[in-house]
Amino acid sequence: MNWKPSRRQVLGSGLLAAFGAAAPGSLLSKAAFAQVRGGTLTVGLPYDVDTLNVYTTGFLGDVEAAVVEGLLAPNENAKYVPVLATEVPTVQNGGIELLDGGSKMRIKYKLRPNVKWHDGKPFTSADVKFTWEAVSDPKFIAESKDGTADVASIETPDELTAIVNYKSVSPTFASTLFTFGILPKHALEGKDLNKDPYNDKPLGTGPFVVTEFRHGQHVVVERNPNYWRKDEKGQALPYIERIIFKIIPDSNTLMTQLKSGEVAFAYRVPYSQAKQLETVGSLELLKGPLLSWQHLDFNFRGPKSLQDLTVRKAIAHAINRDTIVRALGGFPVSIKSVVVPIFDFHDPNTPSYDLDPAKANKLLDDAGYAKGADGVRVKDGERLSYRIVCLAGLVDDEITEQVLIAQLKAIGIEVKPDNKAGVAFREARYKGNYDLLYARWITSADPVYSVFFGTKGANNGQGYSNPRLDEVMRRMESTLDPEQRRQSAKEMQAILAADLPTIPLTTNVGVIAKTRKLKNFIPNPTNMTNFVDTSRWYLET
Amino acid sequence: MNLKYILMRVIGAVPLIIGTSIVLFGVIHLAPGGPTDVYADNPSVTKEALEQIRTAYGLDRPIWAQYALWFGSMLRGDWGYSIRTGRPVFQDVVERLGPTFELGGLSLAISLSLALPLGVIGAARQNSPRDHALTLLSFSGISIPVFWLALLLQLLFSIVLGWLPSAGYQSIGDGSFGDRLAHIAMPVTVLSLATIASWSRYVRAGMLDVLHQEYIRTAYAKGQTEWGVLVHHALRNALLPAVTIIALDFASVISGAVITETVFAWPGIGRLFIESMDGRDYPVLMGLMLMGSMALILANLMADLVYAAIDPRIRYD
Repeated sequence: MNWKPSRRQVLGSGLLAAFGAAAPGSLLSKAAFAQVRGGTLTVGLPYDVDTLNVYTTGFLGDVEAAVVEGLLAPNENAKYVPVLATEVPTVQNGGIELLDGGSKMRIKYKLRPNVKWHDGKPFTSADVKFTWEAVSDPKFIAESKDGTADVASIETPDELTAIVNYKSVSPTFASTLFTFGILPKHALEGKDLNKDPYNDKPLGTGPFVVTEFRHGQHVVVERNPNYWRKDEKGQALPYIERIIFKIIPDSNTLMTQLKSGEVAFAYRVPYSQAKQLETVGSLELLKGPLLSWQHLDFNFRGPKSLQDLTVRKAIAHAINRDTIVRALGGFPVSIKSVVVPIFDFHDPNTPSYDLDPAKANKLLDDAGYAKGADGVRVKDGERLSYRIVCLAGLVDDEITEQVLIAQLKAIGIEVKPDNKAGVAFREARYKGNYDLLYARWITSADPVYSVFFGTKGANNGQGYSNPRLDEVMRRMESTLDPEQRRQSAKEMQAILAADLPTIPLTTNVGVIAKTRKLKNFIPNPTNMTNFVDTSRWYLET
Repeated sequence: MNLKYILMRVIGAVPLIIGTSIVLFGVIHLAPGGPTDVYADNPSVTKEALEQIRTAYGLDRPIWAQYALWFGSMLRGDWGYSIRTGRPVFQDVVERLGPTFELGGLSLAISLSLALPLGVIGAARQNSPRDHALTLLSFSGISIPVFWLALLLQLLFSIVLGWLPSAGYQSIGDGSFGDRLAHIAMPVTVLSLATIASWSRYVRAGMLDVLHQEYIRTAYAKGQTEWGVLVHHALRNALLPAVTIIALDFASVISGAVITETVFAWPGIGRLFIESMDGRDYPVLMGLMLMGSMALILANLMADLVYAAIDPRIRYD
């Protein structure tokens, strides 16, 4: 069971320290070194690249991020910054207009002038409109058509203005269509995008150009000599001459290649294998948060006792997150909110339940859950014996499951594993075929939480329903005002903590191994991948 | 042994191949999940979008209609398009055939040239220290897990000694004969070891069977040298049981070597198969499996022909 991140399943990482170091609102950090031009960076990719079209690949668009650009991109703090647009549209700067008494919106993008496609043709607003039309086309088979359905029409009054008319108010507009990448109209109009050679050699505006893609082997990208971005001294970017992406599906082999120097950069080092790289002098390891969190869910259509808040609270008091973190090599980070700390609407003051098994036992005793002869509590003829499901074969999750079983046993609750793989696991998760579920969710840089906890949420397999929470999430997901959103998010986190439909346990970190020679690299935790800012990277000689 | 017989056998293989393709088609569609599974963990892919994708691939039609469609285009030489890459299946497969044949072919050649003499030596000097050493080696070769051996080789030759590249098909921008040889050395060693081990056991067992027979004693009595007896009289008969096994292994070359290719990042058919299986890429899977079963049927035919060539008593009329 190989867990593969797809583009929307955000994966990335960042050095916690690096988050403060970056200039706010910029994709770029100040360089403290004299940059060197040239050099080749070899990257090891842990999956077999299928296509290089950002809209159709089943994986993260690592290579694409260095080749194809969108109007905006999320930076290392998961904040949107302009790329092919000159600014991020907001209500304040007039880029977003609310219409029809606030039920619809219109977004005006001002486009960057003098940007050229890799073939020398100019990039214009016609490309923006074409991208929406091409991706919306029902004949086009795409991994994601996020955001296409929200758009009613696009106007292009001049070459550098694109006006997008939305059917409703969509605060998450930035995480969709116009961020992934703009498609070149002149090269793709009238072509069958499902089969076009574009999928092997995408034409972009980015710092690098694809020169060779051998399926199952490697992708080579070379410096784009006409890239629009310049550094502070006005010198042309990118600095690096060439990036080679080697396809190495076996993680042991990837570690070997890092040690032997055949690969100088890899971003998904398994926890269990990171240790062996610490002794390699030429490498440095970076650790940072991911936009994903691990959680223990209760099934509200399951055993009656789980609908009792007292039982859920007792379980929360019984779980020792530090033990879990230690069991996983010290890599994950404990959390108490479903909103991971990197988001600015994460509320550090979310109420939480201290580790206190004695209190947990007292809560259950007082509520009449008396221990039976076998040490398992019973009330009204129901034994507190639950079936827990996690993804079979995912070692880290199975280890955690064992920790949870031991900790709940200590308060008289019996838990039996019923792990499932692949499709069976998904069925169980989405249809609520479990008593307890231990799993992870991964979000984009612009998460929508109602899919998980909303009464009608597509991913709500728990059967959890809380009208007050629904209302709070609806407000949070339909406002364009960051302050209002933060306020609603705070409320949402408080309700989830008080009502405990789920217990957030840890957030994962990504482990990146890179050569010490690579400078100006800032990990990016979002689905735009670590390669979203390659033009600034350089290699010391 | 004549042309008519070969022709009959080939014609007889046609219904077999069609039957096989029906079974394969049924089996891979019975496997849980489908090509749209990649999107299933993704909160933002809507049910409508999934339906749209299914319709585009024809997955919403009844299975027999899907099969008829696929079979029809196969007859016209159209293998269809890969769901994963959007490229013609034929192109995806042909690209991987080269490296697969290089690795598999080289491994077969090495195995054949080593397994036969080792098997003969083992049988001729039964229970000698040399035979015991060979037996020990064979059992190790059969029992050592491929991925573990590969790791050890990588550790020794790439990290400690730094002599060989740890994985890959060639250096980027190189691809000279020497460079390719350096890349293929470890995978071919790993792949050949198990084959040599198993084939040499079959040859040894076959030889032992034959060596105790009376005509061998007669041959010695006539004053033949040991070498002459072993090669001219014994080996031909001893090879018969081994031929079947060797033929089947020849056929399996075309299916690639999944583990070896994965560990050494070798761009062959085996990895294409695994990636296609993960993605439930039906058109590619069908193309690969059909190629595999055809190779198997062909290998059986070859084995029959080789039998007849080795043993004149065997007649196919």
